[in-house]
This record gives sequence, C-alpha cells and structure tokens, in this order.
Amino acid sequence: MRIRILHTESFRLAAIYTAVFALCIGVIGASVLAVTEKALRDQIVQYSSADTTAIRDSYAKQGVHEAVEVTQQRLAAVRHTDFLLLQQNGRVLAGNLDARDERVGVIEIPSPVRHGHVILGVGSRPGPGLYAFSGTDLAFVAAVRARILGRLIWLFAGALLLAALSGLLVSRSFVARMDAIARTCRAIMAGNLRDRIPARGDQNELDRLAATINAMLDRIAALMENLRQVSSDVAHDLRTPLTHLRQRLERARSESHSPEEYAAALDGAIGAADEMLSLFSALLRIAQIEGGARRGGFAPVDLAALLKKLREVYGAVAEDAGHRLVVTDAPPCLVPGDAELLFQLLANLVENAIVHTPAGTRIAVTLRPGTDQTVLVVQDDGPGIPAAARDKVFRRFYRLDASRSTPGHGLGLALVAAVAELHGGAVAVAPALPSGQGLAVTLVLPLSP
Amino acid sequence: MKILLIEDDREMAADIVLTLRANGHEVETSGDGCDGMARARTGAHAALIVDRMLPELDGLSLVRELRADGIRTPILFLTTMSGIDDRVEGLESGADDYLTKPFAAPELLARLGAITRRADAHAEATLLKAAELEMDLIRRTVSRQGRPATLQAQEFRLLEYMMRNADRPVTRAMLLEHVWDLHFDPRTNIVETHMSRLRAKLDCGLGGEVIRTIRGSGYILRAH
Repeated sequence: MRIRILHTESFRLAAIYTAVFALCIGVIGASVLAVTEKALRDQIVQYSSADTTAIRDSYAKQGVHEAVEVTQQRLAAVRHTDFLLLQQNGRVLAGNLDARDERVGVIEIPSPVRHGHVILGVGSRPGPGLYAFSGTDLAFVAAVRARILGRLIWLFAGALLLAALSGLLVSRSFVARMDAIARTCRAIMAGNLRDRIPARGDQNELDRLAATINAMLDRIAALMENLRQVSSDVAHDLRTPLTHLRQRLERARSESHSPEEYAAALDGAIGAADEMLSLFSALLRIAQIEGGARRGGFAPVDLAALLKKLREVYGAVAEDAGHRLVVTDAPPCLVPGDAELLFQLLANLVENAIVHTPAGTRIAVTLRPGTDQTVLVVQDDGPGIPAAARDKVFRRFYRLDASRSTPGHGLGLALVAAVAELHGGAVAVAPALPSGQGLAVTLVLPLSP
Repeated sequence: MKILLIEDDREMAADIVLTLRANGHEVETSGDGCDGMARARTGAHAALIVDRMLPELDGLSLVRELRADGIRTPILFLTTMSGIDDRVEGLESGADDYLTKPFAAPELLARLGAITRRADAHAEATLLKAAELEMDLIRRTVSRQGRPATLQAQEFRLLEYMMRNADRPVTRAMLLEHVWDLHFDPRTNIVETHMSRLRAKLDCGLGGEVIRTIRGSGYILRAH
C-alpha cells in the first residue's frame, strides 16, 4: 500500500505542491532575515551617530573637557557589546577601546574583546586633532538572525510534514476509490455482470466517472441481454421453417413420382429456404440499425415528403386490399435522419395495418410538427391489440396469437423500434379509439440530433 | 457477352458460371482481387461481376481503382445480406448495380442485362418508343397506338423503366429499387398492384398484353 501510493498521480501532485510550498517558505524566510538584519544594522548606525554627534556638539560648545565628560557619561550607560572612543592626536582621552587609526563614516572594526567578532560603528572628527568612534558588536545581530532562522526551520519542517501528510491522505482516499472501481471491473470480468461501482453522492469528478462507467455497464448489460434473447429466439424461430423444409423434402422423396411433382416439391423447398433467408436479412438489418453505424450518414429528411411517397406507394395497395389509406398533407418538416430507414419504418407500420386488419379498415397517417420534436401517428380502426401485449410487440419474433396464421416473422415492429431508437426517438402503441378498439402507433422524433 | 467474374467462393463462382453459360455468355473467372484487377484493366469485357469480399484486394477498392483508371466497363457488385451499407458504398465506389447474395439466376441475368444496356444507351432520349407505346418524357404523356393513357406519377415511372429496359426481363426487386427506391422486401404486393393498374390504363380499349409476366422472375415489355 505504502509503495503503491508513492506511484499514484495524486501523490505525485501532493509532492509537487509540497515542494512549491517549501520553496515559498524558503524565499519568505530569506527575505525576513535580510530585512531584519538591515534594520538592526541601521539602528546600530543611528545610535552610534547620535553618540558621535553629542560628542561633537559638546566639544563645539565647551571644548575638549566637555567632550571627554560626555564620552564618559555615555560610556557609563553602555552595555558590554557597546564601544566608545575619544582620542586626541593618537592618544586616548576616554573610552573602552585602544587608540586606533582615524577612519571616519560607517566602518567595521575587529573586536578587541572577543576574537573574531566585528564591531559596526561610526567614526568622526569632532574637532582639530580629535577622533570619536561609537559602535556595537555585531554578535547581537547574529544572535537575532539565529533565533529567526531557528524558528523558520521548525516552521518549515512542520509545514512540510503537514503537506506530505495531507497529500498522503488525499492519495489514500483517491487510491481507495480507484481500487473500488478496479475491483468492480474485475468482478464484472469474472462474470458478475450486475455489479456496479458504489457512488458516494458527493458529485465530484470521481462520482461522475463512476456514474458514467455504471451507465456504460448498464448499456453493455442491456446489449448482452438482447444478444442472449436474440440468439435463443433465432434458434427457436428457425426451427419452424427448417422443420417445414425437412417435411417438404421428405414428402417429395416418398410421394413424388412425376418430374412435375418433384419440381413442385423443390419450389416449395426453395420457398421455405427463401423465407429463412429473409428472416436472417431482417434480423441482420435490425442488428445493424441497433449498432448505430447508420447515424454517420444522417442528413435532413423531409417527413412530409416521406408521407407523400407513402401515399403514392401504398394508397393503391391498401385500396386493393379493401382498406382506405388516409395520409394527411403536412408542411415540410425536416428531421435529421436516414430517409431510407424512416421510410421503411412507415412502410412497416402501414403494411402491418394492411395485413393484420379486416377489409374496410381505415388507416390514417398524420404528422404533427412541434418546436423541438415531431409526432408521427399511424392508426387504424381495426381490432387493435390486447393491453397485455402492448409492451411486447416491439420485441423480436413476438407475434400476437391472432396473427400467427398470417405470414411474417414478428420482426416488423422490432425494426420500427430500432429505427426510432437510432433517431433518438421513441415509439409506443395505444388503442386508437376511446372504446379500446383500433391501434395507434405513435412515433416521437427529436428535431435536433 | 464476355463477362469477367471476380469471386473467391468457388461454389458460388461455379454456380454463376453455369447460369451465365447456359444463357449464352462467355465467362472468365478470377479468384482474387489483384488478379481480377489485372484482367479487368484490359477492358475486354462487356461486364464485370465483382464480389465485395475478396482476397488480396477487396471489391470496393478494386472498383474504385478501376474507375480511377478510367475503365468504364459496367460493374455488378455482389454483397452479402449482412451489409446494408454495402449497397451505398458499392454504388458510390462506381459500381452500376448491386446484388445481394443469395440471389436467383433470373435476378442476376436481368441485372446484368440492365447495366450492359444502360452502358450503350448513352444518349438521353426525350421520346421513348416500344411496341405500340410512345412516351414523351418532357410533356409527361403516354399513348398507345396514338390513344392517350393518363398515368399517375408512379405508373409513369414504372412504365418508363419498363420501356428503357424493353425486351429484357425486369425483376420485382429491380422495380422496387429503381422505380420506388425501396431497398427492403415489402410484405404487400406493391409491384403487382401498380403493375395491374398500369396494365389496365394501357389497355386503351385495344386488348392484348403490353407487359408480360414472366412466372417466378418478373416482367418483360416487348419492343415489337
């Protein structure tokens, strides 16, 4: 665990922050030291100047004796780190320093008391032949600097420790959550498809990541379930036409005698094979639509134009079947989509109505454009479908008991649902009439992708 | 006609060769894309039949390259039923028509007939004539033996396609695709319904069949 944390991104970040923090403290500390030292030296110079000025004033007013007096007075008040000197022509008149060369201004001289120490002070000439010096041992400044430095080092160490600790804690919680995600993924890989990443509900980026991964897992699970369902349905539904094919072939062998009879039996067998092939085509088409690849070719489609084509193609077909197809005119209505698939969707709904309702049924197709979505309704006043079946009609291979005798695979509405979903829309069935009779299939399509 | 078939599925290829030879065509076959490409480049064929999935060079690239090289030989593209995008891709690459496997022999022959005819009928005629029929594409009128027939837009398009393909069998699937632009197998009798209305309107009180049904494969309009 300890080693792993060192390799985490968050720990790396914490370490960088700590280093930057340390650098800041260092810079601030150095500035504080420099400023403090400068202030202390300035103060020493100021005090020393006051001493030499007082000596000069006294000499100016009352002569050498007064200057010696003032020097001695000042000398009585000094601390052991302060030094004073008044000399005349190289001879010491007063002070705690030996006679020395007469440098004036702010100067540094070696301490006569402590070896290696330096005295900072001011030298001046109060009068002819006179030299005065006042200064303070810089050891005092060094002591202050050492105290500040000591404090700073402790502060620095504490801050560093705090930063490192908080970094460690943050990484620890981050790593723990990442581990939770990894654990869930491993569990799913091991076959526990229902497992999901726990969300803390604090809406941070990790929670959002967890939610996204969970949504992805839901989608995968739905697709897997779909796949499982389809494979079992295919296996099941293919048995019927295959059985028919086998029966036909067997009958042909045992009962056919003339070439005509054989030809008829073969035609029947080819028909059965074609039926299976068309079932496969329909299934593959639905699978491809669900795969979503067609979305790449979306272009604006005028639903009103599709409706016009629907009337032209199916008006006569419905009429020949004894139905009446009423397609209401609509102003141009553009949706992003695949014209071919949308037309097949409409065709499937109209063909369903033609095939599954008794003669004399009225089939109405209406388009209701809206501001952000368009509603397409295909309805008939036929017998409708039982309430219990309404949720199932969009499943593959689902067929109402009443329609088992008519040819078909039960894939028409599954394709409708797949096309609707491809377009980001929704499709639903409901009775067309208040009496519960009739069927209304409502397709809602968004106007923007 | 001399036809080049580029198809790697031996059984499928043998079947197509038999069908084409039985109908008097000369067939050359190739089992992979590169070899097929080299043969097609000679331009010595009346039509090419190209499978989508081929070893060495896939069908789409082959057609694209041939078209880029300026080879104008009519191409019939063969696709498997799994690819609904194959049709669009195939036609966009430069093929003249496509056919989804598996297909019936008459369908293959009819499509081949249509694309080779289209290649030699370059001039855009404005007046079509076949049998006793005359169609004015600009004024959108049709007459039989000079007697006018009033057709709906769909019926007009249907007849136009039949007349453009006069003397050649036209299948139901070809009509669905080219007249109605429908690329799925409808469960209702779209073609039969519109065809019977068209026939009724073309009767013009003269009797006799202008468009004949070929059992099991489609329709034909005899030019004479």
